[in-house]
Amino acid sequence: MFRFRAAPLRHAAILAVGFIVVRVLYRILFHGVDGSGAVLLDLPVVRLPAPFAHVTMLGPITSGGLWDSVESALPIAAVIFAFGAINACIDLSKLFARGARGGPLRGAARTLVIAWATVPALGDAVRQVSLARKLRGSRGAAALLVPLLERTVERAVAIAAAMEVRGFGAQRSVDAGTATPIEFRNVVLAYGACADAADAGPGAPVEGWTLAVEEFVVPAGRLVLVSGPTGSGKSTMLHALSGLHTHFDDGELHGSARVGGIDRRTVPPRETAGFVGVVLQNPRIGFASETVADEIGFAPTARGVVASIVSARVAEAAARVGVTALLGRDIRALSAGEATLVAIAAALVERPRILLVDEPLADLDAEARLRIRALLDSLAHEHGVCVVVAEHRVGELAAVADARFDIRDGRVARIPTGAQLEPADEADAASGDRAANGTTGEARLEARGIHVVLGGRVAVDEASLDLCAGEIVALTGPNGAGKSSLLLALALPKAAGAVRVSGTDVARLRRRSRRAAVALVPEASDDLLCATSTEEECRRADREAAAASGTTRARFLAFLGAEDGTTTAARLLASHPRDLSTGERRCLAIAIQLAADASVLLIDEPTRGLDARARSLVAAALRTAAGEGRAVAIATHDHGFARELAERTIGMRNGRLGAGALRTAVRS
Amino acid sequence: MKWSPRVQTPLVWGGHLLAAAAFAWPLFAPAVPAKAQGAVPFVALALAPLAAVTLVFVLDGSVRSAKVLALLGTLTAVGAAVRVVGTGVGGIEAVFVLLILAGRAYGARFGFLLGVFVILLSSTLQGGFGPWTPFQMFACGWVGAGAGLLPRLRGARSKLAEIAMLAGYGVLASYAFGLIMNFWYWPFAVGTGAGISYEPGASLGENLGSFLLYSLITSTASWDTLRAITTVIGLAVAGPAVLAALRRAKLPRDALR
Repeated sequence: MFRFRAAPLRHAAILAVGFIVVRVLYRILFHGVDGSGAVLLDLPVVRLPAPFAHVTMLGPITSGGLWDSVESALPIAAVIFAFGAINACIDLSKLFARGARGGPLRGAARTLVIAWATVPALGDAVRQVSLARKLRGSRGAAALLVPLLERTVERAVAIAAAMEVRGFGAQRSVDAGTATPIEFRNVVLAYGACADAADAGPGAPVEGWTLAVEEFVVPAGRLVLVSGPTGSGKSTMLHALSGLHTHFDDGELHGSARVGGIDRRTVPPRETAGFVGVVLQNPRIGFASETVADEIGFAPTARGVVASIVSARVAEAAARVGVTALLGRDIRALSAGEATLVAIAAALVERPRILLVDEPLADLDAEARLRIRALLDSLAHEHGVCVVVAEHRVGELAAVADARFDIRDGRVARIPTGAQLEPADEADAASGDRAANGTTGEARLEARGIHVVLGGRVAVDEASLDLCAGEIVALTGPNGAGKSSLLLALALPKAAGAVRVSGTDVARLRRRSRRAAVALVPEASDDLLCATSTEEECRRADREAAAASGTTRARFLAFLGAEDGTTTAARLLASHPRDLSTGERRCLAIAIQLAADASVLLIDEPTRGLDARARSLVAAALRTAAGEGRAVAIATHDHGFARELAERTIGMRNGRLGAGALRTAVRS
Repeated sequence: MKWSPRVQTPLVWGGHLLAAAAFAWPLFAPAVPAKAQGAVPFVALALAPLAAVTLVFVLDGSVRSAKVLALLGTLTAVGAAVRVVGTGVGGIEAVFVLLILAGRAYGARFGFLLGVFVILLSSTLQGGFGPWTPFQMFACGWVGAGAGLLPRLRGARSKLAEIAMLAGYGVLASYAFGLIMNFWYWPFAVGTGAGISYEPGASLGENLGSFLLYSLITSTASWDTLRAITTVIGLAVAGPAVLAALRRAKLPRDALR
């Protein structure tokens, strides 16, 4: 709690001196410095008219008067400085974490802990959003503020859900009986009447959406896999089990839903936190503490368990998951894989009988995926936990799963054991044929000697690249290979090297003509969205790009194969952009970026977070764009997608481009 | 602790009144016996933090819902960051835009707490605590709460009308904020013996005249006007979309009781 920081002291000193100066100025202006001593400046006394008749201004300035006014200001200046000294020595933020553990102000203290942990992340968010704004060519404050606020709200909802399932704010704790851990029979999940389009939460399904669960029964010691495309209701199914669906997402549940023998509709998640452990999707944005140890110990702390027992429990859970080495770490310094492991440890800390895990493998590398698979396997089959995992990467978990349920067309259906586990991910994405338009050989983009240094590290090393009209090129390589940096350097050239599009140096182009040459869809493509309806978003894109009205709208609808005038088109255009499905949203981002009719289209990780259906949607959009004679380049670590779509794949490693980057190489 | 409304409501209003009294101390000083007059400013400086602690203590039970708490926390972070970044730019306080929109979207109590927490967090970040901090907390809290108390609008053009109403409120709030912040501080800033000094013995009209002159040259003509302009521009540019973003994270209707 005590530490020394010079900044507050300096700040206070400036404030104190400023206070004295301002007081002297007030008194000079309002006839307050004509005391004893020599007259320094004899200004005339000015009397103001009514209603300020009692006020006199200016008047003579004497040395004694000046000194008096300085002297009279000293006590208060001293108080200001004293507060600065106190501020310099006391670190209040430590008090927040302490207060959040219990006591009458724990609500306020927890709020401040969350705020404290959010501030540093804001810097990154601002950087990313302003980059997206620049790429879109917008200048208004709205294009910065709106995505930033959307991110903030998204984080808030994630934190809230993560706290709820860990027992935050529970008035009582319900114990599980010895009944079957999960028993759902003839259950129908829906979203209530309040879920009209304007009011629904981010990504919430619209009214009329239902999910039928005829029988979903999981005994102890089993691992069950729930699969299905994005948006089919995997998360809704898990939220129904955890109770978030009915008590947090304003959803409806009909039928017989028992978890640990308890009716799921009547008991909120916070009261079952003792025996239901939950790992939410993308756990990183839902972390509510500053350190890994605090995060893992959140549930027992919220329950009011004494600190020594909490730390014993934390050590135990960390050891079980294998993250003991991370305990002292700042929660923000975790990689995606570590974050998932920490979230699993946080869900295990109360030794739950049931563990619900949503998309644990998303955005993880192969090694981390294996580790998590082994962990889930051992929890179910060695420790007798009832584990339910929602994941669209079926193949990876099928070997350890005892049963599999698949969600198709609004139903959760059991897939008989022994049935062929078709790799759902690759199934329908490959439906389209390879890009029909062969390489015409006319180079649209020629980049030579691109060199980018980021934070002292070479991100892109002397890269040269040609992109031809009508072709789709894939840049592949591991995380950190420099793919994103290269795309950015092509779209907004400022580093060493030259980027020419149809012979013109891109670095010399102004905002508008640059957008007509190169368009880049950033990885966090939702940052491009800032309007309240898709229709308005399209109009805004036309305006910014000085395109003919209706251009973006027509392109967006064409990408999705929706004809203008149909009800599908009307629904798409009327929705809030963030209520569109992930795939539709990415297509919208591509349409927005193409508003200025760029001849080169670059897309960073076009399939991030997409399932098979959404991927085929995006693949079709990219083929359309290439078919219009554009040069299209994607950066991806999704090799399957690259193979199926691109005519040319260029590997990238440690900032260096592999073979096949130049046009001569294409011809040979 | 969850308070029953019968206890909570009077305590909340008592806290606000106590704070209002602390802001208005120059008005009360003349009513106090001459011997005790010197103590009045110190009592006021002590009352403000007391009122702030009372209110946060009484309202703490209201922020036990995970969703309210998380939204309050993340928006506090945004507000504090905006305030810290804005320090160098003087009175251009975009914080008002956030306070007004959040107060409008989530109600008066949320707006008030957001104002209080934004000041608390930004003061912690910068090490800027002082006797002025509780006053800033209340003034900002009231700006947010006021937006939550504005009437609901109905009708075809209600979205436009809502932004217009908020912008009007923003102008009012910007000047009111400046005036009340100047009022409690004015006697400290000028001291005694100048033309615009606070005179406990003088008539109310005379003192008000002096105060208005002080306020005019201190902030009304400069910072407050700038803040009003920033707020109106911010609300016009980002208001509709930000309101939509905030409203998409549905808070349960009785979340803040």
